[in-house]
Amino acid sequence: MSARLQAPLGALTLDNPYINASGTYGYAVEYAGFVDVARLGGVSVKGISLEPRPGNMPPRTAETAAGMLNSIGLANIGIEAFVRDTMPRLRELGVTVIANTFATSVEDFVELAKRFDGVEGIAALELNISCPNVHAGGMHFGVSGEAAGEVTSAVRAVTSLPLMVKLSPEAGDICEVARAVEAAGADVITMINTIRGMVIDVDRRRPMLGQKMGGMSGPALKPLAVRMLYEVYQQVSIPIIGMGGIGSLRDSLEFFMAGASAVQVGTANYAEPGISLRLADELDAWLAERDLVLTDIIGVAQDPA
Amino acid sequence: MKSLRTRITEVLTPAPNYKLLRFAGDEPIPARPGEFVMVRGEWGVHPVLPRAFSLVECGEFGSILVKPIGEGTTLLADMQVGDVLTVFGPLGKGYDLDNAGRRPILVAGGVGVAPLLYLAREFHAAGTRCVFIYGGRTEDDLPLADEIAEIADLVVTTENGARGEKGRVTAPLARLLDEDSNTIVYSCGPDGMLHAVSDVSQAVGIPCQLALEAPMACGMGTCKGCAVMGTDGTYKYVCYDGPVFEAAEIFEAAS
Ligand SMILES: Cc1cc2nc3c(=O)[nH]c(=O)nc-3n(C[C@H](O)[C@H](O)[C@H](O)COP(=O)(O)OP(=O)(O)OC[C@H]3O[C@@H](n4cnc5c(N)ncnc54)[C@H](O)[C@@H]3O)c2cc1C
Ligand SMILES: Cc1cc2nc3c(=O)[nH]c(=O)nc-3n(C[C@H](O)[C@H](O)[C@H](O)COP(=O)(O)O)c2cc1C
Repeated sequence: MSARLQAPLGALTLDNPYINASGTYGYAVEYAGFVDVARLGGVSVKGISLEPRPGNMPPRTAETAAGMLNSIGLANIGIEAFVRDTMPRLRELGVTVIANTFATSVEDFVELAKRFDGVEGIAALELNISCPNVHAGGMHFGVSGEAAGEVTSAVRAVTSLPLMVKLSPEAGDICEVARAVEAAGADVITMINTIRGMVIDVDRRRPMLGQKMGGMSGPALKPLAVRMLYEVYQQVSIPIIGMGGIGSLRDSLEFFMAGASAVQVGTANYAEPGISLRLADELDAWLAERDLVLTDIIGVAQDPA
Repeated sequence: MKSLRTRITEVLTPAPNYKLLRFAGDEPIPARPGEFVMVRGEWGVHPVLPRAFSLVECGEFGSILVKPIGEGTTLLADMQVGDVLTVFGPLGKGYDLDNAGRRPILVAGGVGVAPLLYLAREFHAAGTRCVFIYGGRTEDDLPLADEIAEIADLVVTTENGARGEKGRVTAPLARLLDEDSNTIVYSCGPDGMLHAVSDVSQAVGIPCQLALEAPMACGMGTCKGCAVMGTDGTYKYVCYDGPVFEAAEIFEAAS
């Protein structure tokens, strides 16, 4: 990857700004031998909890206009199996690993952070305080500045890893949450997670999904995500990683110009598992043609101060 | 596994409401019977997900049998020679072809014929004669029946009696299993049919492999979308634990 693609995120610098989003790329090992996973800007792995989770009642996915709903329910192998079985393989493959963690209490988020600290090969910790798919948990941290600040500072106190906090579009005032996590010591903000939606199966006269509601992702989410990022950028000084519906170079340029230092690609991986590498190459060519580097375009769509 | 940009080389209409799309890329996708591919045309951002299809043929070109039931399958069924089709695979776990000397009985419903025609061809090539029970609602729901008749003992059922035996696949299946217990059942079709095939086979203790369908996003075990509850009380994922399962993994034996 060329130097013009470097994405500085505080203490961490990525070789290119395209990260695969949590929940859409498994643990990345599944794609080895098929996609050159070491070249990816990074992979935010499927949300990891203290204990393995079986996930929600199916059906767990439903398609919507230019998007989809999911109610997976954080099905994952748990931190013990991840660190023991998956991390050695990820180190061998040379993947830039972002450990996306999920818990329903501050104590469990702290415990996860402690257990990841010192695990070789983890580039950053990403707190998912915004999962809409688990009863009694997760998202309530993401919808209030006070709760988000509390969990962030508790984790900050026990980790030396770069700390990313993933915000929810369900927050009444996402800027307040962003300011709170910055004040509490987050190094990077990632945004946004999915927003809850519903599809009714009119033949069965029931909601389509087993859990009734699911998180909406995909192209339909993009304008919402860009707007929120544009607003949050004005309120914090830590770097922001943007996501929501990215599926092309131009989509990602919108996020960079709104203020994202890097982006995550989620739903688009399903149609094209190597899309992030393609976008990195396309961005490289786009920047080269204009004699620019990535950092030249970050936030350029913001009004002059 | 490979992700290929292919072009459609041939579009056949094997029955009024079914299309067989043949496609070719730079290299073949080496799938076994029952394995599948994720397929998407160049139709922009909607529908956003690829669609799962069993391979009917696989070699210098591949083919899928499409039954239009919704938006994605309708877009695919309307595709023309020369159109681009992105195909990745092979994915999942296919049928176990080791029939241990048992006579294979293949049971297909509607579009479930796709992986079973491939399977029948493999048995035929290996010199094993199969029985192929093929059920449709009407005579228009039996695409590729003539191809099957060339290589296997074909038994057709239709619910309206317009072709073959009137009724459902389970009637001839139960008869055959009663006559000969040195058999093995391979099936693919709608859920209700699979459940009934499982009941009939498990009742007489005949091994039975079923190919399931479930809505899925990734096709590779990463999104955890295509969960089905197994008889052991744990979720199975259609895309990587299956799509082919032993009947008893999914359905309790009928009591
Ligand atoms: C392993 C496997 C093999 C398959 N092989 C074939 C085949 O050979 N020929 C064929 O015609 N069909 C096959 N199917 C079913 C086919 O994938 C669905 O009919 C198709 O996805 C429906 O999409 P749609 O947009 O037309 O329908 P819509 O109803 O508009 O789809 C909406 C969403 O539901 C999902 N969905 C709806 N019905 C099904 C279903 N039955 N199975 C899986 N997902 C579904 C779609 O993928 C999509 O995400 C297979 C499915 C699986 C899982
Ligand atoms: C099937 C699925 C599972 C997801 N699982 C997680 C998860 O475990 N943790 C998390 O932080 N985000 C999860 N997400 C949210 C994505 O990481 C991302 O924030 C969201 O999908 C928006 O990006 P997109 O439109 O590019 O998909 C999931 C999304 C999908 C579609």
